Amino acid sequence: MLWLLRNVGKAVIVAEGATELVGLDPLLICHPCSFCLFALAGSCNSCEGINESVLCLFQMRDLKAVGKKFVHVMYPRKSSALLRDWDLWGPLVLCVSLALMLQGGSADSKDDGGPQFAEVFVIIWFGAVVITLNSKLLGGTISFFQSLCVLGYCVMPLTVAMLVCRLVLLAGAGTVSFIIRLIVVGAMFAWSTLASTAFLADSQPPNRKALVVYPIFLFYFVISWMILTFTPQ
Amino acid sequence: MKPAGTAGGARLPRAVRADGLPPQALLDDTEDVSLDFGSEEELALQKARIRHPLATFFHLFFRVSAIVTYLFCDWFSNSFVACFVTILLLLSFDFWSVKNVTGRLLVGLRWWNQIDEDGKSHWVFEAKRVPTIAASTEAEARIFWLGLIICPVIWTMFFFSTLFSLKLKWLALVIAGISLQTANLYGYIHCKLGGQKTISRVTSRLFGTTDVPKSEY
Repeated sequence: MLWLLRNVGKAVIVAEGATELVGLDPLLICHPCSFCLFALAGSCNSCEGINESVLCLFQMRDLKAVGKKFVHVMYPRKSSALLRDWDLWGPLVLCVSLALMLQGGSADSKDDGGPQFAEVFVIIWFGAVVITLNSKLLGGTISFFQSLCVLGYCVMPLTVAMLVCRLVLLAGAGTVSFIIRLIVVGAMFAWSTLASTAFLADSQPPNRKALVVYPIFLFYFVISWMILTFTPQ
Repeated sequence: MKPAGTAGGARLPRAVRADGLPPQALLDDTEDVSLDFGSEEELALQKARIRHPLATFFHLFFRVSAIVTYLFCDWFSNSFVACFVTILLLLSFDFWSVKNVTGRLLVGLRWWNQIDEDGKSHWVFEAKRVPTIAASTEAEARIFWLGLIICPVIWTMFFFSTLFSLKLKWLALVIAGISLQTANLYGYIHCKLGGQKTISRVTSRLFGTTDVPKSEY
């Protein structure tokens, strides 16, 4: 982005990891739209600096970034641009939708077979944090939030698998439906693991790739297991 | 009394004023006075105690409604899932709006993380130095900081009450709330006090950047 190029020379960055503060003059180019928080028609191509319009943020930057990452998960390619602009909105949406679908429709009943909502939530986020810590302790160069971002976005194929499973279960719960679900979940599990490995394994030294890939494999395996063993009431 | 004369600095005969003041002062006064009324909007903006009413409202709205929903969720709905998702969404919107909107509008600070070409991540904290006409007022700044500080304290109290009353299914939500709001609090305090040695020393001790090699969060 243009403002990055202008400001990166001005921000003083201390090598130990903390950054010093440098005041910047406001680069006011477009109108500070402080009175309209939600998107109206209009483009903000010239909005830069600390006074950039709120419309720019809400409309252009965040939504486009999220959409681009979903596309990247669908067609996993080694692109550093994906890793550079991390965000946790996609993982949040995916996690909530997966947990909702694993709920079984009856929110507070004590005797439903599936995992509770909060458990799924905790498994996904805690699992992602543990994998990230593991890869960092093994000497990975990727940053903490980048890794969380990749692992979260790569849950998307499994969310699609959950959707398909629920639709198949609407039709019936026999052997045929189980085989269909097994194939779909297996394929999506392989897709998730391959997509996240494509992004994460590169940041590791070569003799440690297997040590990093195995927890990712386990993580998606647990989620796939929850999806496969889901039975509605 | 003779009139003051032209603004070109031409030598005029000394005028005798009734009150005995030197005529030069009178010349300077009339030369330097420039009556700039400005626009009425700018004057109203300067006098108003809150210049960004919408931003102030939304700064407090999401935080307070998350807390209120957490306290009174049993009145709104029987469903744990609906309450959980609602509070989580409110907390996320609050995090986004405080980080991206209200910080820069109300106190002129912002912070973010950027990752450069070789993959190293940096946290950047910046503050606006030059105040403009639409800069924030004291009332807005006070509302901003009070809202920023009080809400994480309330969520920490919820954490202890959840822990000791053993309603553990809410623990995940409370922890999420604490981490999101504390992240904003830490970011803005770092912006505000940025550049001081104590902050960088505390940061490096807390996150142990010297212990874990080649890694930055």
